[in-house]
Order: sequence, then C-alpha cells, then structure tokens
Amino acid sequence: MQSTATLVSAESPGGNALAGNPLLTLQNCSLTLNDTHILRNIDLNIRQGEFVSIIGPSGCGKSTTLRLMLELLKPDAGGRSGAGQVTFPKVKPRRGMAFQKPVLMPWLTIRGNVELSLSLGPQKTPQSLRRGKAEAALELVGLLSYANYYPKQLSGGMQQRVALARTLAAEPELLLMDEPFGALDEMTRNTLNLELLKLWENRANGLKSIVMVTHSLHEAVSLSDRVVVLSSRPAGIRSIIDVPLPKPRSAGFVSVEETPLYQQTIARLRRELQSDD
Amino acid sequence: MTEVSERRPLEILKRYDALLYPLVFISLLLVAWEVSVDAFKIPAYMLPAPSDVLDAMDSDLLNHTWVTLQETLWGFLIANIAGFFVAVMFVHFRPVELGLFPVAIALKTTPLVALAPLLVVWLGTGMASKIAASALICFFPVLINSVKGLRSIDAESDELFRTYQASRQEIFWKLRLPASLPYVMSALKISSSLAVVGAIVGEFVGANAGLGYVVLVSSYHLDTDVMFSAIFAAAFIGLAFFWILEAIDRRFIFWQQEGAD
Repeated sequence: MQSTATLVSAESPGGNALAGNPLLTLQNCSLTLNDTHILRNIDLNIRQGEFVSIIGPSGCGKSTTLRLMLELLKPDAGGRSGAGQVTFPKVKPRRGMAFQKPVLMPWLTIRGNVELSLSLGPQKTPQSLRRGKAEAALELVGLLSYANYYPKQLSGGMQQRVALARTLAAEPELLLMDEPFGALDEMTRNTLNLELLKLWENRANGLKSIVMVTHSLHEAVSLSDRVVVLSSRPAGIRSIIDVPLPKPRSAGFVSVEETPLYQQTIARLRRELQSDD
Repeated sequence: MTEVSERRPLEILKRYDALLYPLVFISLLLVAWEVSVDAFKIPAYMLPAPSDVLDAMDSDLLNHTWVTLQETLWGFLIANIAGFFVAVMFVHFRPVELGLFPVAIALKTTPLVALAPLLVVWLGTGMASKIAASALICFFPVLINSVKGLRSIDAESDELFRTYQASRQEIFWKLRLPASLPYVMSALKISSSLAVVGAIVGEFVGANAGLGYVVLVSSYHLDTDVMFSAIFAAAFIGLAFFWILEAIDRRFIFWQQEGAD
C-alpha cells in the first residue's frame, strides 16, 4: 500500500490509479438541488478491493455523494466544466446501501426484512432461494436465532446488524454505507465496526469494495484504505489520504490505536478538516 | 423476554379487568336505575325500568335489529372498499386528488340528514337507501385516513426500495399498503360506529323495518320501553362491531398502536 497522500487535481480523477480496477468512477460530478449548489467537480475512483471513507463537515454533501454512486441522484448535466458522469466497468457492480437508520419494516420478521432485499426489483432472487440466503446473511451478523423476532423486539445495535444482513444478503459488490452506526452508542459502534471489518476481510458474500460516510476520524482510519476529505458546501474533494496501517486490521483492532502511525494519520485528517480553502 | 412467564398471572388479571370493571359499573348503574324508577314513581312513558325494557325485547326486535345490522354492514363494507380505492387513486394520480378532494369535502360537510330524504326518493324505502346513507357517512373518514396511511412512508424506506429498483407495484404492495394498515384500521373503527348512525338516520326518513323505524313508531305511541329496547339494540350493534375491530387491530396490526384520528 502507498503510504503517501495523494492530492487530487481535476486532471487525475480519483487520485492514485495504480492498484485495482475501478469499480465506479465519479467524473467531474457537480450537483445542484433546488438552486442549492451541493457538490462541485467531484472526481473519485472507487477501486476493486478497497475500503474508502468519506469525511467532511456536517451537511457538506457526503450522503449526497453516496446517492450519486447509487444513481438515486444524477450529476448536473451542464455547467462551466461540462457534464458530470458516473461510470462503471462493462458490468455494473451490484450496489447495496446501509442507511444511518436501520429502516426495517416493523410488520416483517427479521427474516422477512432480510429477504426484502432479495424480493425487489428486476434482479430479485428466485423465491425458493431467498430463505437460505437470508438465513446465511443473518448467520454472518450473528442473529440467526432471532430470525422469527420482530424489529421492535431487538435493540438498536441488533436492528442495525439486521439492516447490514439485509444489505449483504443481496450480495453487493460495492457496499455503500451512510454513517451506518452513527446513531448507536460508542461501545456498540466499536463492536459493529469490528464485525464489519471481519466481514470485509473475509470478503463476505462477494464484497469487492466499501464506501463509508462517517463523522468519526477513528472509524475512518481504523477501517479504511483511503479517506476522502470533503470541503464545506459546495463540497469538493479537499484531499484523499492513504491510511498506511498494516492489514488485516481486525486482529489488532484496538492496539493499533496506540501506534504512532495511527495517531499521525488522525492528526493529518484533523488538519485537513480544519484547513479552510 | 424470559420474564414473560413470571408476569403471566398478573397479565391475566389485567385482561379480566378490562371486562370486569365495566360489567360491575354497568350493573350498578342498572340497579340504581331500577330502584330510582320504583322509588320516585317515574311514569313508564317517561323512563321505563330496565326490567320493563328487557320485557319489551322480543323476537320482533330481533328481526328489526337484523335489518339494521345488514344495512350497517353493507354500508360499512361499500364505504371502506370505495374509500380505500379512491385513496389509492389520490396517492398515485395527483390530478384525481386535486379534482375530487373538494367534492369529498362537500360530501362531508353536507349533513346526512339533509341528504337522506333524497336517497329515499332515489332508492326507495327499502334497505338500499339506508345502505347508501350508511356508506355516505363512513366514506370520508375512510378516505382521509387511508390517504394519510398510504402517505405515511418515510423518505428512507422509499430510498431503500428505490435502491433495489423496486417497481411501483412492489412499492405499493410491500411498502405503502402495509404502512397504511394502522391508519386504515383506525378508519374502520371510526366508521363502524358511524355506519350504525347512517343506517338509523336513513330509517328515520322512510322505512318499514329496522331499529330507527322502531324508535320512530314507538315514540308516536309513547311505547318508551320499546323505544329503549331499540336504542339498546342499536348501541349494542355499534359496541360489538367496535370491539370486534379492536380485537382484529390488536391481533394483526401488532407493530403500531398509534394510528390516526
């Protein structure tokens, strides 16, 4: 892994393009919604096999960036610098989204909620396979024994794990996470981050890359390969910082925080966030 | 979850409470009534004793109750199916909502009593006019609550479904419809009591059977005991209907108790 930061300019989209084929590329993406200029000229490459975190001031457009990747929103077509584009390799990667809230259907059992991601849209899984896949995903997050419960009977952390299982069941190649554990207490959050890291390191269910929006510098550094720092609104990419920590990380999940390298990376990120354009 | 078994005896007691307390109070009320009528020598045409009212309940009353019950159920059924259907139209086709909503408001604000004679002119003195009156009075609350329920989905759920590229049908059947059920259930409960009102108002205007007809005719003859028996029968229909719906609500809409208005 590269240990140097890569500052991005408009000429080199997505920064360092040495490793991994791109799974998704944002090219010159600007976004204006209801006359509000939210994103300006975002160039970002998500490569196969990497975990990317996006941090930035609150309300700057981090979640909006994820929504571009999901194609729930389209980048501005025109502007001074031309049309923005979201491009993929020949075969679009399957994308899955984990929201800040678990967004479970209260009328469905836990199993039913996980099966939901398998029973919607043009790529739905045949009925006969859903149950098995859902249960396998629940097994991954350690909640198989709660399959017949209803969301209300589970704690916030468990609900969030169900949401993760729902996303994983659909076997996404690119997992997008919008502060998935942001609403949880710190201890639960740490546990879930470690679980996520293990799923990631095992490449559970054919996972290829993860993009995670977060507020927590610690979360960003301990999980990701690269951290994208956005500026305040209209958000552009201020810098992309490589995290030079050894992998796999799950074994030294806690102890790594005491290493100088970890502390330095956190400090760098903090400086990047505070520097004003 | 493991405490369930320990709590059980208490829960059972509580469940009986809901039945026991009303029964005790109603019995006390009836006894007080019976005693007062006797003690204060209230004439029977003013206020008959509960025992007299009980005597007045004969097979004739049962027949009239059956007529009103049918009118109520049909009116209720038609209003709910139509109300929900129009609500689905409203939610999916904005022009339909913009065009029809004022009409629905006009229907609601026009007193049913004013419309009932028209219904009798159109549909005759049989059951049809009462069913129509009953359906008319139920329609609006069903419509409003259903629209509210179908719109009650939050932005995240909508986004979740769009992430999986769910079709409009899938969003309707797997998201909108179940999300609307608690609201629809409250609508059913509200309209269950309104349905009885509608049927009886219809019977007042022109009928030859039904509880409203019994009330009207017995008032001409000052058969107050018969009148009371019909009032009680009407109240019982409304109450039983509401209870059944409440039980269904608790059994099937377990995920949410707060509903609509």
